[in-house]
Amino acid sequence: MRANFIFSEVWIGLRRNLTMTVAVIVTVAIGMALLGVGLMINSQISTMKDFWSDKVEVSVFLCKKVDPFPACKGSGGVNAQERAALKQQIEAMPQVESVAFEDSAHAYEVYKSQNAGNTVLLSAIRAEDMPESFRVKLKDPDTYTAVIEQLKGAPGVSNAINQKELLEKFFALLESLRWAALVVAIILVFAATLLIGNTVRLSAYNRRRETGIMRLVGASNIYIQLPFVMEGVIAGLIGGVMSGVLLMVSKVFLFDKVQVYLANTVLTWETVTKVILITLVFGVVICILASFVTLRRYLRV
Amino acid sequence: MIHFDNVTKVYANQNRPALDHVSVDVDKGEFVFLVGPSGSGKSTFLRLILKEERPDSGVIQVAGKDLARLSNFKVPHLRRRIGCVFQDFRLLPNKNVYENVAFALEVIGKPRRFIRKVVPEVVELVGLEGKAHRMPDELSGGEQQRVAMARAFVNRPMILLADEPTGNIDPATSIGIMKVLDRINRTGTTVVMATHDAAIVDSMRKRVVELEDGKIVRDQSRGVYGQAY
Repeated sequence: MRANFIFSEVWIGLRRNLTMTVAVIVTVAIGMALLGVGLMINSQISTMKDFWSDKVEVSVFLCKKVDPFPACKGSGGVNAQERAALKQQIEAMPQVESVAFEDSAHAYEVYKSQNAGNTVLLSAIRAEDMPESFRVKLKDPDTYTAVIEQLKGAPGVSNAINQKELLEKFFALLESLRWAALVVAIILVFAATLLIGNTVRLSAYNRRRETGIMRLVGASNIYIQLPFVMEGVIAGLIGGVMSGVLLMVSKVFLFDKVQVYLANTVLTWETVTKVILITLVFGVVICILASFVTLRRYLRV
Repeated sequence: MIHFDNVTKVYANQNRPALDHVSVDVDKGEFVFLVGPSGSGKSTFLRLILKEERPDSGVIQVAGKDLARLSNFKVPHLRRRIGCVFQDFRLLPNKNVYENVAFALEVIGKPRRFIRKVVPEVVELVGLEGKAHRMPDELSGGEQQRVAMARAFVNRPMILLADEPTGNIDPATSIGIMKVLDRINRTGTTVVMATHDAAIVDSMRKRVVELEDGKIVRDQSRGVYGQAY
């Protein structure tokens, strides 16, 4: 096998089909970049889910003396008996891992620290305005609905909410973004496949004299086909490298910016590297397959 | 060297066979003319030897190998032992004489040193010394056919197939082409030449196999083109 012979043929082929080659490179680059973004969002979703899963808890707010919640109407605030009964009820639930009571003073402290800069707000709110609550930790965060349903109607409870519900809306948004990226990526990969097929067909037509003679003098099939496949591979590789650059740019300017709002869920370079490698290999494999399939049709050997 | 036993070939969508129960033997080192009108099956005969087509029945052996049993993946190796020359030369227009001949060796993976040694020898054998760096469009038809012959012969094939090699060339130049073919034949290469050219066949006095409607109607050693029946 004479490597420089193959490469000079490949070079001639790529140059002859320059516009098609550029089209292949751009399509592969964008398609693979979108695939990569999809994979990166995917990995973000799972790390974020892991991060939040042991932090989310069900908050059961108790009625204050004067409480706008309809469940508390006329109750005049939760009394000690109700509080104890609720604690017992929650502890008896099979889904519950632990339960902690948070009184108004503590809730006020937390609130103060969260809004430390906002003096106007802090001066308007007093400790008595903060509701008492039970912070319920669940064994499996996904079983919150049953817990909330049972506690919502209980006497002395103003409201029971799950932080997970809020997070899930956010995750749903991320997931639809991921699907959008993947669907567009699949369409582009399909387009890239057709483009590569066309490029190889043009190339086979341009080089029909050469391949005819190669067949005649007994060049082996691999020798005849390799330049065409290599054309596809090189176009795919350049496209893949470009998509790698796009992915790194998107990590720095997109993911790292968003991550500021979602503490502790850093998209690591390790993940980015893995994603780039996956898309690169995927892109090249697609190119090889597309080339081979077209060759079978347009190059008699 | 070439052995056809009761070979029949019918092309798809045609009811008349291109070759009809043809049996013929060509020995090593022979020079055979294949004559007959257009459509008599000459080209089919040559294509069958190259395994470009498969017979519908019968046995074909080339260089001791049964072609029916030869796997597709070994066909290139068969073709390396068979040189081919055509009426339309089939040279690469963007390569010069030397490169055209060297191409046949490059694509079967011969080392560069070997190519540098044998190509000039063959270019000289076909009478093109001093023209190695001409491009095909700078050569006459006869010279282009010599390049094609050099390319066919450069790998020292056991068999040389020539499909109307003088078809595009004037009679005076054809004599030179035939001299080269004869020179190649003298090195021990079996030559099978399909032709319409009566003058050439008559002047060479070699074995003549005549086909008509896919059947062999004459097989004569030291024959001529038109036979008085």
